[in-house]
Amino acid sequence: MTIQQIVDPDRIEPELIKIWEALAHKNTMRASLFNLIVFNRLSRRTDYFRNIVQKVVEKFPCRTLFITSDPDAAQSHLKTAITVVFPKADESLACDQIDIGVAGEAHKRVPFLILPHITPDLPVYLLWTEDPSKSNPLFAPLAKWATRIIFDSECADDLHAYAKTILKLKKKLNLDIADLNWARTEGWRDLFASTFDTEERLASLHAAKTLKIVYNRRETEFFCHLKIQSMYLLGWLSSRLGWKCMKQSKNLHFEFRDKKSSIHASIESDLWQKLGAGTILSVDLKTADGIHFEGSRIPEQYHHVKILISSNTSCELPYHFVLGQTATGQSLVQEICRCGTSEHYLAALTQLENFL
Amino acid sequence: MPNEHPLEEPGRTSRTIDPCVIVIFGATGDLTTRKLAPALYNLGRDGLLPPNFACVGFARRPKTHQLFREECKEGISSYSRTQPVDELFWNNFQEEIFYHCSEFDSDEGYQRLAIFLKQIDARHATRGNRIYYLSVQPKYFSLIIEKLKKHGLVYDTHATSSRWSRVVIEKPFGHDLKSALALQSNISNNLEEDQTYRIDHYLGKETVQNLLVFRFANSIFEALWNYKHIDHVQITVAEDIGIGTRGHFFEEEGLLRDIVQNHMMQLLSLVAMEPPASLSARAIRDEKVKALQCIRPFKSSDFEEAIIRGQYGPGFINGQNVLGYRQEKDVLPKSNIETFVALRLFIDNWRWGGVPFYLRGGKRLPKRGTEIAIIFKDAPGILFQQAGKAPSPNVLALRIQPDEGISLKINCKVPGPSSPIQPVKMDFRYGSYFGQSAPEAYERLIWDCIVGDTTLFARADEVEQSWTILDPILHHWAAHAPKDFPNYAAGSWGPESADAMIEKDGRHWRIL
Repeated sequence: MTIQQIVDPDRIEPELIKIWEALAHKNTMRASLFNLIVFNRLSRRTDYFRNIVQKVVEKFPCRTLFITSDPDAAQSHLKTAITVVFPKADESLACDQIDIGVAGEAHKRVPFLILPHITPDLPVYLLWTEDPSKSNPLFAPLAKWATRIIFDSECADDLHAYAKTILKLKKKLNLDIADLNWARTEGWRDLFASTFDTEERLASLHAAKTLKIVYNRRETEFFCHLKIQSMYLLGWLSSRLGWKCMKQSKNLHFEFRDKKSSIHASIESDLWQKLGAGTILSVDLKTADGIHFEGSRIPEQYHHVKILISSNTSCELPYHFVLGQTATGQSLVQEICRCGTSEHYLAALTQLENFL
Repeated sequence: MPNEHPLEEPGRTSRTIDPCVIVIFGATGDLTTRKLAPALYNLGRDGLLPPNFACVGFARRPKTHQLFREECKEGISSYSRTQPVDELFWNNFQEEIFYHCSEFDSDEGYQRLAIFLKQIDARHATRGNRIYYLSVQPKYFSLIIEKLKKHGLVYDTHATSSRWSRVVIEKPFGHDLKSALALQSNISNNLEEDQTYRIDHYLGKETVQNLLVFRFANSIFEALWNYKHIDHVQITVAEDIGIGTRGHFFEEEGLLRDIVQNHMMQLLSLVAMEPPASLSARAIRDEKVKALQCIRPFKSSDFEEAIIRGQYGPGFINGQNVLGYRQEKDVLPKSNIETFVALRLFIDNWRWGGVPFYLRGGKRLPKRGTEIAIIFKDAPGILFQQAGKAPSPNVLALRIQPDEGISLKINCKVPGPSSPIQPVKMDFRYGSYFGQSAPEAYERLIWDCIVGDTTLFARADEVEQSWTILDPILHHWAAHAPKDFPNYAAGSWGPESADAMIEKDGRHWRIL
């Protein structure tokens, strides 16, 4: 259940109080674990972000300030609405959502409008859904109040510029930064960490000769920069193993060097209609000592990866690795729980910045 | 507490309330309409006024008793915390309200007042007890007090104990240290200290009074209330409104005099004071003064590093355009008056050694709010570090207004197998817990004045000490015009230099 009302900007808090007073007889608890500010440009992705915010609210009731900027509106405007969202069917608790629709000149009012509605003493998470490498006058004032900024590199047209910007921001603002696409690759990173968990296995990984990552090229209206998750995985793995990029081609073939030898890596695509766009489908790695590692999603059980490990002399029994939840919004929920900025993420970005 | 009464049982017997007349000087002003008339009405309605009571409005404009009563009723209808007006009560209550027309400097006017008050005494059995409430411009304080003395309207406390006279003085009490001392000297010539009630309406707020209860009736907090556990203290008095129709006044005063010298220093002294020996007015005010006396005097380097002034330019409040200070009515287009002040000061005593107190007050800030925040030291960063960072510090926030209450920020584990730590808030709200609207500050303070309790009024030495601390800032500012005014947009949290000041210390201002 939700209670929604269009209100003038100066009536946001008074009208919320009225709604809550009206709810007093139900003993509904007004809950908020943090402030979540979402900035997005009105587009096909707006509904997607609304959906993932809904998932977050279901898991962690919070005060949401959802800003939708309309770049195509003929006239400047600032429209506000309030919603009381009940994440659970029993209506035992609820939280506030403030929607701000803005166009044209009115953009400059937004930071001033947001400020009085931030709940004190609770963290402020800013979900910035636009490409941070493209200038936006709202970014700096909103980032100023954020405890943590969550980006979605899916919006990045140029991953190189994106990586560069994020690293610069990290240095300049000294803020905690997260990336939804990075979170989406977490299952695969866990898979590598748990598969190559002995000194012997790790030594094999260091002897890698070829690496192939395959992603799903199914475009949707929400996702179109499909190779980014694969690039993140490659950036992460190469940074962890100390590979240096020597050469790359437009068709996503890479030559790396480590202390001993050279490694060839490639990113390829396949089409799986029922799986999320850009998700990694499989990883194939061969080593100089003859170890062949293959991890492929199972078509009937998408979040299961079948792992095959063989050598010139033996073949291990295949087993399944569970990548974890792949439901929409899960990566945001995951990132909300975290604290700080992942050192691995920063190292992967540095690697991407260097080899792209 | 006031003098002990042999027939009263402390905590059980309501105090004896003497009959009295309250004379409001400047009775046609805003304060009477918005605050004093509603406060008297609510006190009467709650049965807290003496049965023999009268109110006389004293002002220059000719007016009938009836017209003044109607104006009071309009004020009550618009501004009283209880609505609608209780007609039955009002019909009786208005019979106790009168108007007296006179110039403040007219001897003849005071002579007529003396006669009129005697008539009221005879009719209402008010026994000669008087409260004179000076709701006038500060320039009239001395004049009115002199005239009251000259015409026998205030009594020599040594000569009589059967009737009393008290004078309530609204802020500002002086314009700087020199003028405050001069005003005090004048008052001392005509009044005893226990006849003088310097009002700071902040002290009448329930939440401010609760500060003493909170600190000294709960053992868990007082044990932590010192340099060993507290990292720093932030006191914020934020207003989203501009100066409204007070352009002339604000051009004379500025924010330091309007808010910092009185409200903020009072809050500071209540937070910093030692436990008083008793709850008597004297014991409490003694401790407040001691805390103020321990404030480290500002050094010349502090004027750049620890004292920030600001003035708002055009901006947005609630999404609407608002004017900059210099564009407001009755303000000079090149005015250098400050509408924002941020200070860092230290209290050099055993309890507070090395703990910075950050004070921030301003007009046209994003929201209205007064708060005292105690930021505790970080827990040892041995356990529960996340990405190299210690969990955020505990914060105890005492919200003075609006949404009065107390919250405590603590760190908690997010449910689930992994152990991320999330700050959460334990929140106590007066409104939702006690379920009734608290009396207005003026109700409490007028009632205290009627019963003769000076605890919640500033004493002469408190005021003097407060000016002593802030006077060097006024002198420095007078000699050094600001170069960057206006330096913050209306609707923002003040100038960047204020952020820089606290961030240099590795801290940041709280969001209210």
